[in-house]
Amino acid sequence: MRAFTAPSFSRIRLVAVTLVLAASLFLPGQALTAAVWAAADGSSAGSPEASFALADIQRANSGTARSYQGVDYGYRYPQANAQSFVVLVLSNTQAIVYLPAAKAAELGIDITDKSQQQAFLAQLKAADARLGNGGLSLAAMQPDCSFGFEPQVTIGQTVYSFGQEVEPGYYYTTIKATQKPGEDGRTPVAASTATPALFCLSGNLVASGQVAAPRPPSFLEQVQAFFISMDYRPFWVSLRTSLVALLFTFVFGLAAALLTVRSSSRLKAVLDSVFTIPMVLPPTVCGFLLLVAFGNSTAFGRWLLEHNIQLIFSWPAAVLAATVVAFPLMYRTARGAFEALDEDLLDAARSLGWGTWRIFFRLMLPLSWPSVAAGAVLAFARAMGEFGATLFVAGNYAGVTQTIPIAIYFQWMGGHSDVAVFWVFVVVLISFVVILFINWYAAHVQRYRRPLRKKDTNGKVAK
Amino acid sequence: MSNSSKRNGLAVLLAFAAAMLTAMLLVAGCSGANSSTSNGSENPSSGTASGTSTPAAEPVQLQIFAANSLEKAMPQVQALYTSKHPEVTFADTQFKASGDLVEQMKAGGSCDVFISASSGSMDTAASNGNVDSSTRVDMFKNDLIIVKAKNSELKVDSLDIVKDPAITRIAIGDGATVPAGQYANQSLNSIKLYSEASGKDGTYDDAIVKKMIIADKVGTAANYVATGDCQIGFVYTSDLYRYDGIESAYTVPADSHKPIIYPGAVGAASQHAVAAKDFLSFCLSDPDALKIWAEYGFEVQ
Repeated sequence: MRAFTAPSFSRIRLVAVTLVLAASLFLPGQALTAAVWAAADGSSAGSPEASFALADIQRANSGTARSYQGVDYGYRYPQANAQSFVVLVLSNTQAIVYLPAAKAAELGIDITDKSQQQAFLAQLKAADARLGNGGLSLAAMQPDCSFGFEPQVTIGQTVYSFGQEVEPGYYYTTIKATQKPGEDGRTPVAASTATPALFCLSGNLVASGQVAAPRPPSFLEQVQAFFISMDYRPFWVSLRTSLVALLFTFVFGLAAALLTVRSSSRLKAVLDSVFTIPMVLPPTVCGFLLLVAFGNSTAFGRWLLEHNIQLIFSWPAAVLAATVVAFPLMYRTARGAFEALDEDLLDAARSLGWGTWRIFFRLMLPLSWPSVAAGAVLAFARAMGEFGATLFVAGNYAGVTQTIPIAIYFQWMGGHSDVAVFWVFVVVLISFVVILFINWYAAHVQRYRRPLRKKDTNGKVAK
Repeated sequence: MSNSSKRNGLAVLLAFAAAMLTAMLLVAGCSGANSSTSNGSENPSSGTASGTSTPAAEPVQLQIFAANSLEKAMPQVQALYTSKHPEVTFADTQFKASGDLVEQMKAGGSCDVFISASSGSMDTAASNGNVDSSTRVDMFKNDLIIVKAKNSELKVDSLDIVKDPAITRIAIGDGATVPAGQYANQSLNSIKLYSEASGKDGTYDDAIVKKMIIADKVGTAANYVATGDCQIGFVYTSDLYRYDGIESAYTVPADSHKPIIYPGAVGAASQHAVAAKDFLSFCLSDPDALKIWAEYGFEVQ
């Protein structure tokens, strides 16, 4: 655990570790069969009983019929190197296995021996089960494998060549069509029109000592790897966006509250509706309206673009969206607080010749501060949690506009549920702290009042 | 008197609010201008650089909009490109349904390279004037398959599986924006279960309409099957290699839908059109990139 007592995030990490523990239950296990093993990524395989192992295994699920520098090499699959073994799975029932004779002799393997061939296939199937990841699998298909040791095989009209150096340093398995069995039998056809294989496996034969069965990473290592590979930018984007949005919300919210409180009752109803509507509207509607207002589709949006102000899909757009949705929370709490103020007090200040400005900063704001502060905290939390409108106008650009809520959605949809769980936890924690803070603050304010009362009664008793 | 001073104070407050709003717009403008000046500083200098025949070294950041199915393979190719061309880096690539990316470009989201999963959405982007049609090139070929959850006992030997009463939830991309959904709809149209041959703007047959779970991108459809929310789903072969928990149950016959071709093109408003074009040709011709595409099942054209 020592690794996780870094100064920042230490507590977040601690609890996240627990969550990762839970999440890891859903990850595929490291089950290894006793005899034949394969690395988790399928790149190597071996068996304690065999004298050889397989390394650098790769599976090409598709190739290309692209010619290189004007030369038609047929349909080609990349392979590990010139001396790679190759397994071309042609159909559900047929596969061609190429084992480089020279390489095998070097390792002292009698590759014509059926039991050695079976050992080779067993290792390859174990690796393929990992590489295939739900695609066609050698083990499930059980095709007839014809073993060959020559770098070229001809079946019917098709020529299969192994270890072809197409570009310097890059080797391919090629499938070339020669001639179609036409009437004259001589119609030349493009080599690249050959029927591709279903998939192509290749890799290197090595001595069994050269690769070892990988030790499955310990739980702690997995957790460590998770946190090291974690992209923490959504947190900073969220924080930055919410803080700047809070600044705007605070100023506009107070101004709007003051304006509404000071208005005639008829105007008040209208203003209040206008200022509150972002709270009632679905965030997607806010987002849509902002997109329409600032996007490419209106004169205003185009004017902005013409003046090089690209608001949509940029960070300021995220701030704008967060500000709009958080604004009503600030406005409503501030308005409530202003209305609750004792009108006589304000009149007294006016009779002393205080200007509106001074009354606002010296009287109204200090008196309603607890509510205003609570409103600010709520607005901050709302800005932090903004999703719909932000996605609409700011999009999902990692490190720029990807806030935590957006990261949660896209990580989940992208199949990274562990990362989504981490962010969910962070959001729950932040929300909890925010509510705790508001409660603590309210209690603090009340405590400030209570002792006064106690002091009074005590005083009386003392007298 | 007090009334007028009250109004004055209010006016000051409103003026302050207005000032803040302008400030915000200015901030937005500055950041926009900043990025455009950084772009601008690259643009003219790259012009002079090409004049002095040393086109390297000037840092370029490319914004790629790519079909959702490329979400796992593309970042690897980008990393490969940056390792071979250190001056080129990539902004956060947008992987969405091709139709959504077309909308994003239309709304003002700028990109240097757009790679779509269907010719149709590339056509739309071209007619919207968002891509440079002269740079358009067919990049990859893919296959449509029906997937099931890993270890599912389900046997699928034809498209008619969708009519099977045992199948109650089928994940499929939204035909309006998701090319994989359009290809799937075209196949369903071939067995008279979807009304439009184009694969979009149509309706499903009453026999299956209640089963269809519409996904906003092909990855979501794959995820629905992986989580067990749907029993089968229509996705690409390449999706097998980016999602765990799904396996191929049936390859949809290629003649039942239009060829699945991924066209790529340079964005019309790209500030780095040359670098963008270089990246596109790298994707198609680099042997190390080819290895990555091959691993994920994208057949390079």
